[in-house]
Amino acid sequence: MAGEPSASTIFPQTDWEALGGQSNEGDVMRLDGLIRRYWRPLRVFLASTFPSLGGEQAEVLLQDFAEDKLLKAGWLQRANRQRGQFRQFLKRSLRNFVLDRLNRAEVKNAPVSLEELVEELPEPEAGAEEFDLEWARVVLAETLRRMEEDCRNPEGNQPRRSQTWELFRLRLLEPLFQNAAQTPYEQLIARFGLKSPLEASNMLLSAKRIFKAHLVRVIQEYTEQDDATAEEIRRLEEFLARLAKRRAIGAHPA
Amino acid sequence: MIPHDRADAPDLLCPIMPDFNSATKLSLSGPEPLAALLAAGEAPSGLWRPEEMAAIFRHQMAALLEADLGGLTPPAARRLEAMAAAQGAPARSFADLLRHPSPPLELLEMVKDFAKTNADHPENGLPKEIAAVLYYACIAAALLRLKARISKLPDADLGRGLRWAAAQPWLDEETKQLLARALAGITGAEARDASGL
Repeated sequence: MAGEPSASTIFPQTDWEALGGQSNEGDVMRLDGLIRRYWRPLRVFLASTFPSLGGEQAEVLLQDFAEDKLLKAGWLQRANRQRGQFRQFLKRSLRNFVLDRLNRAEVKNAPVSLEELVEELPEPEAGAEEFDLEWARVVLAETLRRMEEDCRNPEGNQPRRSQTWELFRLRLLEPLFQNAAQTPYEQLIARFGLKSPLEASNMLLSAKRIFKAHLVRVIQEYTEQDDATAEEIRRLEEFLARLAKRRAIGAHPA
Repeated sequence: MIPHDRADAPDLLCPIMPDFNSATKLSLSGPEPLAALLAAGEAPSGLWRPEEMAAIFRHQMAALLEADLGGLTPPAARRLEAMAAAQGAPARSFADLLRHPSPPLELLEMVKDFAKTNADHPENGLPKEIAAVLYYACIAAALLRLKARISKLPDADLGRGLRWAAAQPWLDEETKQLLARALAGITGAEARDASGL
């Protein structure tokens, strides 16, 4: 993904001894993977919440946030206690971190005036919304990437698995994301050699189940718990539906 | 013409497509398609569009009985063989059964049960409307061709079901006639009962 940190880890200078018993290497590596995956939503959040920051400055702040904040002051422990709310916790942490940094910069007569920045700050909701939208994009793109990989390289003898992905792509993805017409039923059954409507439906249902299983796994990597994962899916659904509705009204005002 | 057995040829029919490139496709996407995708893993309803029902029903009628019934019992398989031999041509599809002048009762009951299971459990994937029409078509074929009743539904309920099935706009003419004639038989009997004849 463009703009993602290029080093093999975003925590290259980790002082494991200094972390002491607070964090173990596994926890930090897991966090490293998550921050890398969700780097783009963090950057989008920074850009929309603090529009006066230049791109380079924002990138430096983000890197500092990852290195200085996430590994220190018990952040990881607090994040672990709030796994179900990881997304919100990360967002709040970044905002507070940047405000704190800018505050200190102001004291030290920094080139960017805090007063000016604060005056220009949009409503917190705007940045939060952009962050959540970008987060949903990353979650779903990662889900699709894994689903495609899984279907194209299935374990064991599953000769129709790649067709399952193709059916999902033709039936759902291309109409949704490329404005393509849905491939008609008769073309689908000819293309995939489907013997009956039950077989066709089962293949499509199977694709949806594979999608759901990967979606759950992607989200579970930051929520950790089954009930928190279900809750996070529900929250993302509600958020996207609310945003879609509002944008539709905005595009076609009464 | 709907293919019966092309499972061995999908690679020719379906060459590997280029990667979807999910990150690129989704990176500029608005919330609406994302919401629709997120919902894709939820309830299995709405797999197919209403305007696809005609094609799905045609496919169902052309499908092999063995494919959907998950292996026939030996007596049912023998009856199917006999039916095929009597017709002088391979006769193994749902359409063959429903249009046969003397269909095996056991097979009609099996298909009726298959249809009922699918109508009662939409999570199985077969559209409920297709399953329900198939259910009533089996009852109609038994009534008309074998003078047999394979349903415990009272006449009034059966009449309502047959009427509903015959009215489906995506139904082929032959099945519509089968249902309408069975309905006429039922309502005729109801009229005779009502008049005490």
